[in-house]
Amino acid sequence: MSVRYFVKKISLKFSVMMTTVVLAAMLVWLAAAYRENGSRAIFLPDQVMTLFPDPKPLTAFAFTDHENRVFDLSRLKGKWSFLFFGYTHCPDICPTTLATLARAHENIAKSTAGAKDVQFVFISVDPNRDTASKLGQYVSYFDATFLGVTGDDAQLGKLAGQLGAAYQVEVKPGAENYPVYHAAAVFLVDPRARYLAVFAPPLDAQEVGRRFEVLRQLDGPKAI
Amino acid sequence: MRWRHSVFAGLMSALTALAAATEDAGITVRDAWVRETPPGMAMTAGYMVLQNKTSRRQVLVAARSSGFETVTIHRTVAKEGMTGMEHSPQIQLLPNASLPFAPGGYHLMLLNPKRTLHAGDRVEITLEFRGGLVLPVAYEVRR
Repeated sequence: MSVRYFVKKISLKFSVMMTTVVLAAMLVWLAAAYRENGSRAIFLPDQVMTLFPDPKPLTAFAFTDHENRVFDLSRLKGKWSFLFFGYTHCPDICPTTLATLARAHENIAKSTAGAKDVQFVFISVDPNRDTASKLGQYVSYFDATFLGVTGDDAQLGKLAGQLGAAYQVEVKPGAENYPVYHAAAVFLVDPRARYLAVFAPPLDAQEVGRRFEVLRQLDGPKAI
Repeated sequence: MRWRHSVFAGLMSALTALAAATEDAGITVRDAWVRETPPGMAMTAGYMVLQNKTSRRQVLVAARSSGFETVTIHRTVAKEGMTGMEHSPQIQLLPNASLPFAPGGYHLMLLNPKRTLHAGDRVEITLEFRGGLVLPVAYEVRR
């Protein structure tokens, strides 16, 4: 029994490894094909990231960041933005994702193009509890450059709706803890404030970094 | 040569099965850790791999710790494209099987730690199983 189980485990690991290798090879090929053809006609099916062939320009919304500055559509322009919706009273998914994004940030920073034109934004869907100072403390624990933003329900809905990021907050009057549901995906917005790609959970810092590098190369000199 | 290998493998697996059936090693926990709390945050999560080495089904019914106000068994679940947490009042452990408590799945939700947790600290959480088995586990605080 246990021997057979062991063999099965190896073959699963092996097939995951092979899939990763094949996907990586396809991605490189895709980058090459893109440069040759100058076309976005070929896209690969990918469990890590979905890339939109015709990225949608985002429209206006207004949040406040953890330093009490306005965070609106203009703040998404001129930079690549990784957006993640969550809330600070979240013991599992949010810290896991932010820690992974911090490692992805490190990887991107080490790449040739660097991370100067990349920002990571944690969008709290729980403005009731997540004040600016609380958000600031929280995001900078994971990465000193991370931004924490939030807004009222109408403004949150404006951006979340465009990204297909569902959320639900069941505020109970007087209760310190209440259930919050939110998308676990990470959304990538390009420097022209267009919704370009989405990373599906569970996230892997290396995979996120690698795919981002390819996307940035594809975008190349046209950026901004 | 090949048949010898298969005989050997068959013998080994028979022995392993026999050992598991007779030697009642109980329930063990490995890789137990608690996520360090970000500053100002009053909640975090605990993870581990539970291993039921008995030949019977075991049920985890509660967890408690003097280090926190409350400890609840939770599971991160997907719901209509969203992720949220739900309380899991009891968790079944199949005979001779392991169950991971890992980010994005089962976890111990730890509310209001009595002191700030720093990476490298240890906290004790006691797991309670149906039938009265009580298992104190040391969790390492990790960033």
